[in-house]
Amino acid sequence: MANSSESRTELYGQTFIAGLWRENPVFRLLLGMCPTLAVTAAVKPALTMGCCVIFVLLCSNIIVSLMRNLLKPHLRILMFALTISTFVTIADLFLKAFQPRMSEVLGPYVPLIIVNCIIICRAEACASKNTLFVSIIDAIGMGLGFTLTLCVLAGIRELLSTGKIFELQIMPDAFVPWAAMSMPVGAFITLGLLLALVNALTKRQKT
Amino acid sequence: MSKIKYFIQQSWLLIVASFCFGLLIAVTNAALSPRIQQNEKDKLNNLMRSLISDANDFQIAIEQVEIPAEKGRVQTTDVYKALGDDGRCAGFAFIAVGSGFADKIKLVIAVDGKCEKFFGFKVLSSNETPGFGSKIADDDPESDEDFADQFKAAPAQALELIKTSKIEIIKKIDSQIVAISGATVSSDAVVKIFNTYTDKIREQLRQKGLIGSGKQQ
Repeated sequence: MANSSESRTELYGQTFIAGLWRENPVFRLLLGMCPTLAVTAAVKPALTMGCCVIFVLLCSNIIVSLMRNLLKPHLRILMFALTISTFVTIADLFLKAFQPRMSEVLGPYVPLIIVNCIIICRAEACASKNTLFVSIIDAIGMGLGFTLTLCVLAGIRELLSTGKIFELQIMPDAFVPWAAMSMPVGAFITLGLLLALVNALTKRQKT
Repeated sequence: MSKIKYFIQQSWLLIVASFCFGLLIAVTNAALSPRIQQNEKDKLNNLMRSLISDANDFQIAIEQVEIPAEKGRVQTTDVYKALGDDGRCAGFAFIAVGSGFADKIKLVIAVDGKCEKFFGFKVLSSNETPGFGSKIADDDPESDEDFADQFKAAPAQALELIKTSKIEIIKKIDSQIVAISGATVSSDAVVKIFNTYTDKIREQLRQKGLIGSGKQQ
């Protein structure tokens, strides 16, 4: 009995950690590249996007997990898309109502969460096969992993392109802002370098 | 009959889920739409107020003015009348849209009560290149070289875009607008938007008797 409880706790722990590092959606699975590159010019929009993804991921995982035994195999993708698009629309409306500035900055990238591979991947790989609790933990882990990755990327880009983070001056006055970092080229370079770093760390862990 | 039964067996979950999700979105939309509309209205009012400092309140003066757009299309805009403390007309403002470098540029343009000079413009939305085209929205009070400043008190007539780095020309108030270095397309887009809208709006204001023969209504 104690053994089964321990193994369950371990499963929950591993599911949560997987999203943060081992199966990090951006660095390890290379999913959700579109928002990763598009909304990471500054930390605030990246954080907002991360919160939206956590909300949608959590809600869709809960719904998919609850109806997993009722899903017909050939209709499951349709059901996933329906569920995800509902919660994305709700997230978009909330953002427009309570964070209009962020809604403008994020523009079409909030509605585009509908086609974000992370959410459909977790619905298919986890929520449609696991219990409600595991699905919730998976959604939180994956969502946090995605949000943290976005914030790291956005932090580096914002710091180098403006010298500030969250409107706070970090770099000395002599620092010359590197405008390219706020443009797509900056997103590609930063993501490439971070991927190389994560790959090097993973390789070292294995050896 | 068996076909209908098969259809319902296969798709009942989809039908029920569509209904429930649709209802959820409808309820959320109904609950939040007044707030969303208020946010949009507040943003427009704040931008117009920052352009027309004497304005106390705004009301729609002319609805749905037709403006010729690209490819033979027509777009419409409302003209807002700014009312001062004593209720007199402090100016007019309208939303103007045109193609920029990357996407559409949406501006709020303000003119004085006689439609003789511009009060300036504010960017409502744009997706111009950060660090270059995005400078159309820069409004630094300490800077002498702000692109937007050139429109303040400029005559409300056809504007011309020029390229120079001479600060005295940039600071001079006339119908010549100096392009942002490295963002000629965005600068040109703003000037084109001004030129497309100004004449049409003035014509409409005159037709409605809101300006003309030096008398204000």
